[in-house]
Amino acid sequence: MKGQRRFIVTMLTPAFFFLVCFYLYPTVFNVANSLTDLSLFGLRCGGDWIGVANYIDLVTSPDFRRVLWNTVIWLTAIGVTVRLLAGLGLAFLLTSRTIRKYRLETIGRVLLLVPWATPPIVAILIWRWMLDTRVGIINALLTGLGIVDQPIPFLASAAWVWPALITIITWNTLPLVTLTFVASLQSLPSELVEAAEVDGATRLQVMRYIYIPHLKPAIIVMGLMSTFWTFNNFVYVWLTTGAGPGLYTNVMATEVYIKAFIDGRLGYSSAVGVLMAAIMAGFGLIYLRVIAQRELRESF
Amino acid sequence: MRACFGCAQIAIAAVAWWFVGSAAVAQTPISFRFNDPEAPQMRQALNVFEQLNPGIKVDMQRVTWADAQQQYLREAAVGAAPDVAQLAQVWPRAFGAAGALRPVDDLIEKTNIGVAGWDQYIARDMQQGADGKTYAIPFTVDTFAMVYNKALLKAAGYDEFPKTWQDLRAASLAVRRKTGKTGFGFPAGSCGTPAIWFFLNFYWWSKGWALIDKGPDGKFFINISADQIAEGFDYYDQFLKDGDNPKSNLSICLWGAPEIVEDMVKGEAAIASVPDAVGVQIVNTFKQRFPDKQVPFAAATHPADVNGSKTFFGGRSLGISANSKHVDEAWQLIRFLSQPDPTFTRFYTNYVQPQKPILNYDRLPAEIAPGFTEQIKLARTWGPYGLGPVAIPFMWNAVGRAAGSVFIGEKSSKDAASELREAIAKELAKNQH
Repeated sequence: MKGQRRFIVTMLTPAFFFLVCFYLYPTVFNVANSLTDLSLFGLRCGGDWIGVANYIDLVTSPDFRRVLWNTVIWLTAIGVTVRLLAGLGLAFLLTSRTIRKYRLETIGRVLLLVPWATPPIVAILIWRWMLDTRVGIINALLTGLGIVDQPIPFLASAAWVWPALITIITWNTLPLVTLTFVASLQSLPSELVEAAEVDGATRLQVMRYIYIPHLKPAIIVMGLMSTFWTFNNFVYVWLTTGAGPGLYTNVMATEVYIKAFIDGRLGYSSAVGVLMAAIMAGFGLIYLRVIAQRELRESF
Repeated sequence: MRACFGCAQIAIAAVAWWFVGSAAVAQTPISFRFNDPEAPQMRQALNVFEQLNPGIKVDMQRVTWADAQQQYLREAAVGAAPDVAQLAQVWPRAFGAAGALRPVDDLIEKTNIGVAGWDQYIARDMQQGADGKTYAIPFTVDTFAMVYNKALLKAAGYDEFPKTWQDLRAASLAVRRKTGKTGFGFPAGSCGTPAIWFFLNFYWWSKGWALIDKGPDGKFFINISADQIAEGFDYYDQFLKDGDNPKSNLSICLWGAPEIVEDMVKGEAAIASVPDAVGVQIVNTFKQRFPDKQVPFAAATHPADVNGSKTFFGGRSLGISANSKHVDEAWQLIRFLSQPDPTFTRFYTNYVQPQKPILNYDRLPAEIAPGFTEQIKLARTWGPYGLGPVAIPFMWNAVGRAAGSVFIGEKSSKDAASELREAIAKELAKNQH
C-alpha cells in the first residue's frame, strides 16, 4: 500500500511540477503584478505596491463599459451564437439526404476543412484583402452589380466593422463546431426519425423533439469551449482592426496589449488579465452548475 | 608511405583549421538592432565597417518598429539587449531612466563624434536623461513636408501651394470638384502609432498650442483647451466628410502606406504630408514607372498660422545597451555610422544626418529638395513632449484613437477632445513630481 502510494506520487510529480511552473506560478505572479504599478520602463526595479488601485482605475475608466460590452456582447455572445447556429445549419446540410443522394459528403467535408486548416494570420490577411475598400473583391462585386454607389469601408466603419470581424472569426473557426455536430448527428439512430415521420411528425417537430435533444450535449460543450476561446481572443481583433477604428472594436484582450506595450502599464494590464480570468471562471462555474448539469442529467 | 601521407594531410588540415579558428576567435562579435526597411543597404555599410575593422563582426538584427520599444525594454531588463540599437529619437530619455542604455558622455569626451564634434549635433536635448547624462547619439533626422502634384493643383486653380490651413482646405476641395481626384489624401486610420498624430500636432503647434508645454517654473502643463483640440479634429474630419479625402483612407494608419504612395504616383491624389524618405519614394517610383514623363511633384512647407509653419525633428538615434560587454567596439560602430562616407553617401542615401554642417537635403531629388529644406528650418524638437512626464506613446495612441472615434462618427469632436484632455491631465498629475 505504502509502496503503491509512493509510486503514484512519483508518477504524478512531473505533471504536478509542470502545472506549478506553467500554470500556478504565472497566475500568482500575474495577480501580484496587478497589485503594483509595474511599468515597462521600470522592469529592472519592479513596481511599488498600490493595492487594488489598478482594479479601481479599470472599473471606473470611461472606456471600461465599452470594452466590456464589446467583449461580452459583440465578440462573445453574438460571435458564439452565430458560430453555433451556422455550425448546426452546416451540419444538417452535410448529413442531409440530398448530400448523401449525390455522394457529396466527402467533398463537403474537405471543403469544410479548408478554413480550419488556414492559419489565423493567413485567414485575416485574405479577408482584409477581400474587404479592402479600394481593391477588395467584395466591394468590386457590390459596386459592379450596382448594389452600392460607393465602396464600403468594412473595417473602418462603425456600422460594418463588427459584422466583418465576426464573419472572419466564424469563417476560420466554424469547421470544428460543424464537425462536432456532424459526429453527434451521425450517432442518432435513423429509426427514430423514420418512426417519427411515419407517426406524422412535421419537420419542425422532428427537429424540436428528436434532433435538438440529441444534440444538446454537443451544443453545451461547444458553447462552453467557444465562449472560452472567443472571450480571450486577441489575434483576430488585433490583426484585423488593431482595436479600431478609434477604439470601436477594443476588447479586453486588446486592452491588455495596449495598456502593457503601448502605455507601458504592466501592473494595470495584469489587472485586466486577472479580471478576464475571473469572469471566465465565474461563467464556467455557473454554466456547468446551472445549465450543463441539468441538461446532461436529462440527456442521460 | 601511404599512411604517412594520410597523416600529413590530416596534420595540414588541422593546422589550417586552427589558424582559421584562431582568426574567428580573435573577432569580437557585436549585435546591432536596425529596424528601418533599408536592411540590405545597411548590411552593405556594415560589411565596409567589418573590412575596416577586421577584429569586429557585426550581427544585424531586425524588429518591426511597432514592437521595437517593448522588445528592447524587455531584453534590457534581463541583460539580453543588443550591443547597439537604432532607437526612435524620443526614446533615449525614457530608456536611460529605465537603465536600458549606457551613458556615452565619457566616450564622447574621449574621442568626440561626428564630422565637427558633438556640439554640432541637433536634437541633443532629446538624448539626455533627467540625470543630465547623454544616452544616445542622433543618427538621422527627418521631417514632414507637403508633397504635391503641381498639375492637379493648377487644374484646380492653384499656381502656388496654399499657405494657410483654410487655403489648404479650399484647395483640396477644389481638386476634388474640378478634377474628381483626391485633394489632401492623408491616412485617417487608428492604430498604436497613427499618422494623424503628426498632422494634428502640426495644426495645433502652428496656432501656438501644444498638448504638453513647459512653464518658466520648470513644471509641465497642458497648453491646449478641449475646444482647441476639437478644432483640430473638426479640421481633418471635414476632408473626410466632403470626400476630398476618401473614406477608404480610414483603413490606412501609417504615413508611408503603399496606398498613399501609389495614389500620388498614379495622379489619383494631389497632396500628401510625408517624411523625406517617402517623398523620395514617390518621386523615384514615378521616374521608374514613367521615364518619359516630366515629374509633376514639388514640396512645400505645411500651412502656417500665428505661430508659423511647424513640424518636428524626427529621426533615429543610436544607443549602447547598458549590458553590452563590448562597449569600445559598439562605440566604434556608432562613430563609423556617424560619418557621411560611406554609409550615407553610398548606401543609406535616403536619409539626412542631424549634424549642422551637413544638415541639408542635397541628396533629395531636385523636385522636392527645396520644400523639405525650407520645412526643416521651421521644425522644432518634440521638446516638452519627449522631456515631460507624459509618455509620447501614450499620447500618440490616445490622440489617434480619439481622432478615429470622431472620424467614424462614434463621438462628437467635443466629447472626444474632453476625454483626451482629461486622460492626458490624469497622466500628467500622476507622473509630475
